[in-house]
Amino acid sequence: MAKPRRLRHKGGAMISLQHLTKQFGTQTAVDDLSLDIPAGQIVGFLGPNGAGKSTTLKMLTGMIEPTSGNAKVAGFDLRTQVLEVKRQVGFVPESGAVFESLTGLEYLELVAALYAIPPDAARARIRQFIAFFDLSFDTLTDKLLGAYSKGMRRKVVITAALLHNPPVVFFDEPLDGLDANAAVGFKALIQTLAREGRTIVYSSHILDVVERVCDRVVIIDKGKLILDGRPDVLVAEHQAGTLEHLFTQLTGGGELERRAADFAKTFRP
Amino acid sequence: MTPPPLPAGGESPPPAPPLAVSPARTLRRLFLTLFLRGRSARGLQKAGVPRSIGKKLFWVLFIYGLMGFMALVCANQPVFTLSLYLHGMTLVFLGMFVAASAGEILFNQQEADILLHRPVDPRALLWAKIAVLVQVSLWLAGAFNLVGMAVGVVVPDGGWLFPLVHAVSTALEALFCTGMVVLVYQLCLRWFGRERLDGLMTTAQVLLAITAVAGGQIVPRIIGRFGVVSKLATDAWWLGLMPPAWFAGFDDALAGGGSHNSWLLAGLGLPVTAGVLWLAFGKLADNYVSGLQMMGETAAPRVSRGPARRRWLDRLLALPPLCWWVRDSVARGSFLLTLAYLTRDRDMKLRVYPGMAPMLVMPFVMLMQGGMGGFGIAFTGAYLGLVPMLALSMLQFSQHWQASDLFRAAPLAGPAPLYHGARRAVLLFLALPLTVFFAVVAWLMTGRSGANLLLLLPGAIMLPLYALIPGLGGRAIPLSQPIESAKSAGRGLRMIGVMFASFALAGLASAAWQTGWFAWFLLAESVVAVGLYLILRQKVSLARWSSME
Repeated sequence: MAKPRRLRHKGGAMISLQHLTKQFGTQTAVDDLSLDIPAGQIVGFLGPNGAGKSTTLKMLTGMIEPTSGNAKVAGFDLRTQVLEVKRQVGFVPESGAVFESLTGLEYLELVAALYAIPPDAARARIRQFIAFFDLSFDTLTDKLLGAYSKGMRRKVVITAALLHNPPVVFFDEPLDGLDANAAVGFKALIQTLAREGRTIVYSSHILDVVERVCDRVVIIDKGKLILDGRPDVLVAEHQAGTLEHLFTQLTGGGELERRAADFAKTFRP
Repeated sequence: MTPPPLPAGGESPPPAPPLAVSPARTLRRLFLTLFLRGRSARGLQKAGVPRSIGKKLFWVLFIYGLMGFMALVCANQPVFTLSLYLHGMTLVFLGMFVAASAGEILFNQQEADILLHRPVDPRALLWAKIAVLVQVSLWLAGAFNLVGMAVGVVVPDGGWLFPLVHAVSTALEALFCTGMVVLVYQLCLRWFGRERLDGLMTTAQVLLAITAVAGGQIVPRIIGRFGVVSKLATDAWWLGLMPPAWFAGFDDALAGGGSHNSWLLAGLGLPVTAGVLWLAFGKLADNYVSGLQMMGETAAPRVSRGPARRRWLDRLLALPPLCWWVRDSVARGSFLLTLAYLTRDRDMKLRVYPGMAPMLVMPFVMLMQGGMGGFGIAFTGAYLGLVPMLALSMLQFSQHWQASDLFRAAPLAGPAPLYHGARRAVLLFLALPLTVFFAVVAWLMTGRSGANLLLLLPGAIMLPLYALIPGLGGRAIPLSQPIESAKSAGRGLRMIGVMFASFALAGLASAAWQTGWFAWFLLAESVVAVGLYLILRQKVSLARWSSME
């Protein structure tokens, strides 16, 4: 299992993006993004739909190649050491896709095999996650993933991302489907992980959670970085009141409340 | 229950405006469109969705129409024999189609979320779905029987009345077939519950599809070779047990010789069909309503004997020689993943097994002809190379392809270990049992001579080599592609290539066998095969991930 590499990056950035750009044909999904994230920080990675968040996360996890620019993750170069980068990161994708014809346990053991975790160690680790997420071991061994509720499936996907103990974790809408207790537990978990030196990049549209959990927020729109800083400081600087207001203000959603009120009038008899 | 409060003034709410199109018609259109377009088109680019449903349907009917030309083998037979053949094949094709489609059409999980909260009566849903199944069945049956109807005009006791009567009996048969499949679903639902329905019906569908596909290819050859059809007589008591005979009796009674037995068969078929339709679409329709409601519940298919199977597999993998063969942890994971999908996943089973069945007809036919002096056995061995090639090609497509992001996120330089795991699973659980099966068939059909079985060896030696071909260039990663991107043209080309290679190898092997050089031939082939294997394996191992654009 990979160990957190706090010492290696003491004082340096755990994730460093240098002019990272991704183009799909003529469309620029991520445009010259530069950013440094130190170890132990929880960064809220925000943006409206189509802003380039998922593309950035997929580049930083080595799933797609940047068109230009580069990044370093846990000290490893994304272009030349992509395998090392993959060993250092865990990723919870927004889709939450799993192999539905496997049981939960089989799926997690498959993930463990991909990271070369010995079977016994993997089983022991899985049991720890089962206890944390309050899952039943029988369910995990008996039922196919296709039969799990959305929340249970999400717990399995989060377990799969953290199974190899990665120093850097990317979450894309991790709370989707989790019940209130599981969500509280999850937030406490990532805060603890960050205190221990792991770096968390947290992408979500639930902005009040981001505001409460993250040490820093990065907002991108149309692939470009538009704001970066501590949430409380940014909210105060822009006199927005809440992060949600700040976000809508910056990404062209300021008119939404008025438009919703206007539209609601059309429902009147 | 208290009635909802009336609006002020105590007036009733105004009646809903009449709908422009009736809900039943809307539902029929919906299900027909979904059926023809394919529900699994979700997640694809718009460009991947068929542009013209009519064009797609035309080609399907055209292919069924072409298959109808097989009726020409019965051109010299009496009406009953021709009709028995036509109804038998129609039942096979329709049964395969309805069985494969009914589960998806009748019980679709997403559909429960989409439609059950709408103001639509579940019974209206059932009727709309059945109407679509029957409609498509009638089109297919009509296309397949078109040539047969023309043949019926010229057979010895046929005439101009035959096409009309046969059209009626074919429609009845289509109704019977659809009704039977729906009835089986309803009964399974009633007796076993939804939890076991999927597993039961998947097994039934796979078996039916394999039987239909293989039967559709083998039966005409048997007919041609043994002249089975000409020996059939309407006085055989067991014909009463065969639904195609009832409808053939109907044809013969009204448009053929009109024997006493034909009238009896027709008299048996009509009430049975009526009974099936009454049970499936009337009496048991309430089960459907409750079944649909259960779809929304998370009650779930369990893994049948899940823990036991897993322990059995784990134990097997921990024992030599498997533990030596599947050492790498990633290959082991892929091996288990592949096996899980080959044994559990309904979609995978319905594509892989029936997809391979027609390919296996050729060696069967060769063996039926007595092994053709050793050539047939050698050909069978060589032709089995198609098994890993086809299976690995088909395994790369899955409804759960998005989950394969996991492979790309994992620290793997390329897909090779995943491919090797899948390859070994296919070799062990598909290629090996089929080789043994054909060895037994060869032994039985070629005079029970054990020595002849050595002729399977040249093909068996080439199996690992064939199994590497789909993985060249980093392709055929298990479960990594959407089903809609499967193309059959490449598969067809590979099949032709393997067929030619098999002919060449079988020719050389049988020549070496007859001239006493067989041992030397095996030695030379082994040397060449090992060399090629190492080269191809190196190429597979060097493949890297292509960028996910």
